[in-house]
Amino acid sequence: MRAAKVTGQVVALAAVAGLLGLLVWRLTHQSHPPKIGGPAPGFTLRRIGSPGKLDLASLRGKPVVLNFWASWCVPCKGEAKMLERAWRQYRRQGVVFLGIDYHDVTSDARTFLSHHGVTYPTVQDGSGAVADRYGVSAVPETYFVDRRGRLVGAHIVGTVVDQADAFRRGVEAALSS
Amino acid sequence: MIVRLAAVVVAALALAGPAAGCANPRTSLAYLEGQIMCPTCHTTLDQSDAQAARRIEAHIRVRIAQCWTADRIESELVQNFGAGILAAPPHKGFDLLAWWLPLGGILAAAALLALGVWRWSRSREDAAPPDGPSLDDETEQRLDELLARLD
Repeated sequence: MRAAKVTGQVVALAAVAGLLGLLVWRLTHQSHPPKIGGPAPGFTLRRIGSPGKLDLASLRGKPVVLNFWASWCVPCKGEAKMLERAWRQYRRQGVVFLGIDYHDVTSDARTFLSHHGVTYPTVQDGSGAVADRYGVSAVPETYFVDRRGRLVGAHIVGTVVDQADAFRRGVEAALSS
Repeated sequence: MIVRLAAVVVAALALAGPAAGCANPRTSLAYLEGQIMCPTCHTTLDQSDAQAARRIEAHIRVRIAQCWTADRIESELVQNFGAGILAAPPHKGFDLLAWWLPLGGILAAAALLALGVWRWSRSREDAAPPDGPSLDDETEQRLDELLARLD
C-alpha cells in the first residue's frame, strides 16, 4: 500500500517536472526579432530557379539585401521592378540581393519571378521558419546585412518603393560598414 | 437547335472526360480544405480568406484536375511548406506519438480513476461498523437475569 502511494507521488512529481520543463523550453526558444548591429540569423534554403541550396554564410564578405516576399502579396508586385533595378545598379559595388519567398507555392513563385523579370538569386522559405527568426510579421520586409554578417540600418516594413530613402540608406550602411 | 445540342454535348464531354480519365477516385477541394492549414493565419483553408490560402486552394484545384490523389497533394504541400501545413499530424513515424500519447493519457487517467474508486470502496467496507453492538460479559449476564425475572 505504502509502495503504491510513493509510486503515485513520484509519477505526479515527474509529470509536474515534465510540464515545467516544457514551459521553460518554450520560453527559452521563443523567437525574438534580431537586433540591429547583431548577427543576421543564418539559414540554408532551397533555391528557386536554379538547383541546390544557398547558405547565407557563403555570402560573408559581401553586403547583402534580404527581401522577404511572396507571389500572393500584392505590394510585393509593386516593388519587384525597383528591386531588380537596384540590384543591377548596386551589383557593380559587390552588393548581393537575395529574395526570400515566404509561405508560397513554388510554381507561383517561379511565375512571379519570370513575370517581373527578377534575376537576382531567390530562395524559398515555405515553412516561414527563417522569416520567424527575423521577426517578419508581413511581407514585404527588407533587411540589410554588412560584410561581417551583421544587420545594419533600419529594416524596411512595407515596400521599398514607398521608402526609397530608407532603402538607399540601408544599402549604403551595408556597403560602408 | 442542332448547334445548341452540339455545344451541350461538347461541354458534357469536356467535363466528363477528365473525371473518366482518373485512375483513382477524384478527391475534392472541400475535403482538402479541412486538412490543410493556411500558413499565414493558422486556420484551415476552409476558414481562411487570406491571400496565401486562396493561392493554395487554386493550386489544389489544379492538382485535383490533374487527377492527383489527396495523399499526393498533401505530400507536395508538405514538401513545399513543411509538416505544419497539415491540420493533423501524419499517421506514421514520430508523428504517431501525437495520436497515441493523448489516447494513452486518457487510458492511464481512466485506470487511475478506477483504482482510486476501488480503493475508496474498500476502505469504506473496512471501516463499516459490525452488524450490532457487542455487550461485555457483565452486562450480558445482567440482561439475562432481567429477562429471566420477566419470564
